[in-house]
Amino acid sequence: MASFIIRRLIALIPVMCIVLVIVFSLVRLIPGDPAVTLLGPGATQAQIDALRAQLDLDQPVVFQFLHYVGGLLQGDFGLSLKTGLPVAQEIVLRLPATIELSVFAVMVAVIFGIPIGVLSAIRPNSLFDHITRVVSLVGVSMPAFLLALILQLVFGTYLGWLPVSGRMSSFITAEHITGFAILDGLLSGDLAATWSAVQHLILPTAVLAAFLAATLGRFVRNTMLDVMGEDFIRTARAKGLRRADVVLNHGLRNSLLPAITVIGLKFAEMLGGAILTETIFAWPGIGRYMFEAIKNRDYPVIQGTTLVFALLFVITSIIVDVLYGVLDPRVRKKMK
Amino acid sequence: MKVWKGFLAAMVALPLVAGNAMAQSAEQLKTLVVAVPSDPVSLEPGTNKAEPVGSEIILNVFDTLVAWTAPDFKDLEGRLATGWTVSADGKQFDFKLRDGVKFQDGTPFDAAAVKFSLERTKATNSYVKATFDLIKDISVVSPSEVKITLTAAYPAFLSILAQPQSAIVSPTAVEKYGDKFAANPVGTGPFVFKSAQADTNVVLEANPDYFRGAPKLSKIIYRVIPDASTRRLELESGGVDIVQQQGQLSAIAAEDIEALKGNKDVKVLETSSQIIRQLEFNNNKKDGPFANVKAREAIAHAIDYDGLLQGVFGGTAERVYGPLTSNSWAFNPKMKELAPAYDPELAKKLLVEAGVDPSSINLKLYSFQGPLWGAVATFVQANLADIGINATIEQTEFPALRALQTSGQFDVALDGRQPWYNDPDAHITIGYLSSLADTAMTFRMPGDKDLDDLIVKAQQTSDMEARKKLYFEVQEEIAKRVPGAYLFSPKLIVFTRANVEGLVVNSAPPLNEYWSVYKK
Repeated sequence: MASFIIRRLIALIPVMCIVLVIVFSLVRLIPGDPAVTLLGPGATQAQIDALRAQLDLDQPVVFQFLHYVGGLLQGDFGLSLKTGLPVAQEIVLRLPATIELSVFAVMVAVIFGIPIGVLSAIRPNSLFDHITRVVSLVGVSMPAFLLALILQLVFGTYLGWLPVSGRMSSFITAEHITGFAILDGLLSGDLAATWSAVQHLILPTAVLAAFLAATLGRFVRNTMLDVMGEDFIRTARAKGLRRADVVLNHGLRNSLLPAITVIGLKFAEMLGGAILTETIFAWPGIGRYMFEAIKNRDYPVIQGTTLVFALLFVITSIIVDVLYGVLDPRVRKKMK
Repeated sequence: MKVWKGFLAAMVALPLVAGNAMAQSAEQLKTLVVAVPSDPVSLEPGTNKAEPVGSEIILNVFDTLVAWTAPDFKDLEGRLATGWTVSADGKQFDFKLRDGVKFQDGTPFDAAAVKFSLERTKATNSYVKATFDLIKDISVVSPSEVKITLTAAYPAFLSILAQPQSAIVSPTAVEKYGDKFAANPVGTGPFVFKSAQADTNVVLEANPDYFRGAPKLSKIIYRVIPDASTRRLELESGGVDIVQQQGQLSAIAAEDIEALKGNKDVKVLETSSQIIRQLEFNNNKKDGPFANVKAREAIAHAIDYDGLLQGVFGGTAERVYGPLTSNSWAFNPKMKELAPAYDPELAKKLLVEAGVDPSSINLKLYSFQGPLWGAVATFVQANLADIGINATIEQTEFPALRALQTSGQFDVALDGRQPWYNDPDAHITIGYLSSLADTAMTFRMPGDKDLDDLIVKAQQTSDMEARKKLYFEVQEEIAKRVPGAYLFSPKLIVFTRANVEGLVVNSAPPLNEYWSVYKK
């Protein structure tokens, strides 16, 4: 297993190199000049030229690339064109918010999605099955921004139960320990901050989780239906095992394997979906940071955030592969 | 273990927290929450590039020597200066400074601080290079007197001194924090910078020793909310007290403004701006359909200006009659008669006279992105279709459109300008001086000695009455050349919760000062 992980980690290097080249060139293909954006309306050509020189933008692209890679090797992601702050530091500052949001969303999606799929599968075409299928169809097809708007309107503006946006009430000064708001609140024993963080987390989590829960529900239902028709399930039933035993230990366990792939892939996708959700909910994460950077043509930030997203994606897929090994002895054997 | 203890305590105390929320309301009444679309880029005059969020915070944390007087912003008043004189040749400015003012860190304010601040901005802020390079010398006459000498007469210099980039900084704080000054700005203003959290908020607290008297609020929180519909929902649910339109065409749609006007919890403050949005021609082009002034005139007559104001903006924008808005002190009232009227028949006739066959034109109409720009472009497109011109709309992001414009690769574009200092110079010189044709913001005027000389003369004449007359003439001369069709001027709109009082909306720059604001 260890050698498998090491091999996968080594394979990560060429993948990241390719990502790097693609991102670097794509970013420069976006029309528009960062110097123009930065200086805004009213800037003179002389000012724009001066800034271009200052930012190395007048140098050949190959030079810019080598310069960038040289910096990366030393852990230097460059400086944001907009703020002049180190990109690595800015990403580290925002990463906890994104991770907090996506981890909660995955947890919620798994907690709701899998049982719904299982219950639908063991009673196919029942009323429950029909309702959950319609609901999950809506969940899969509804655009995130629309769901976000509806939730904000209902729970934020009309009912006033939950905050419309943000990560913490403006009136609370929370202590910064790990960057994970709920954890920090608990660690510092600040109840108001913890409660505020939980309240603020609910709506964005619901939006991010909805799509995954719906996908997962539909997926688990289908695989469960397949698995429940297999010979070994009939055998298990024939042995006189309890129904719950058959469903959970034999049925679910075998349906979970493909479901883990889906969760892994969707988790990585969710990080991308966070761009929209974070922007709508004013969530100070890395997705929104990237969105702003694209608008501002902030090359180093676009490159840095894309690399981090790519890295998270690759790491998630490694974790999925490892989990496969843990759950399935046949795969474990192959890994060796 | 600690985590679990905390968790347990949290569960037990949840109901108590709810009670705590009630107790906060007194504090909330003294706190103003302002929604802004993004983090401030720079919180100090030495690097600020007129980006709205940072600029507004600067005007609340720092003071300038002079400022425009509320509520109509037509006259300058002294802030850190109590009075000033300008020499007959317009090159020398003598300021008397206010006594007894202290920076927020206790450093006394004096002439040396003025010299230090302005020289610092001149050295570090490329954004104001064009105007600050005019400064030849700043001399400290006495601790309460400072003399600024320019290399050439530039009457708009007083307007420049009212800009955030000209705010006076604490020399001791600059020395103490060095290049971290932007993270620890210290001025003499009504509010003291407290903290900034990336993508989250900026917190200011009242300066009890402010020389005009302590502000009525105890705290301002600028909340960063990037999404326009979220800003609206936060305002409606009371999560923020103020949402600013910032004069941006894409901030909130006209129908949203109507909806908010019907909400009794929200007040809508509207004021005329000096922003101009226009359909501009590439006037430097020697060929193409619009090289002939009659063809340009035809387009100017093809547009249904009042229809645009009512149909697209529902009264949230005003008519522009020429190169200056009607609320500018240099606006020539005659422009109202000279401005082209909507007359498609005349437009068609003019095209014939110009020898242009409209069906031969296949126009690319460039515009910025955003639904409102899209609506304006569609409206103009329909007007052009009425006189037989087929136009396709190309909505482009800001940097890409700028690149096209500076390189001259367009025939017509929808564009605009938001002046940051309250002077006709802000529209006229940059927009129409032919030597600036290739710079970022211009009608790309061709070389034209008469007009160029007139513009420079108007820019440099120090007698304000004579200057006004010159600008009257400039406006008429520009109108004769039909460099574009002036479409509209969006009003500055600020939405506040109904209990917010004392806010005066400034037009150029469109930044609010919160010293006089309070909540009922």
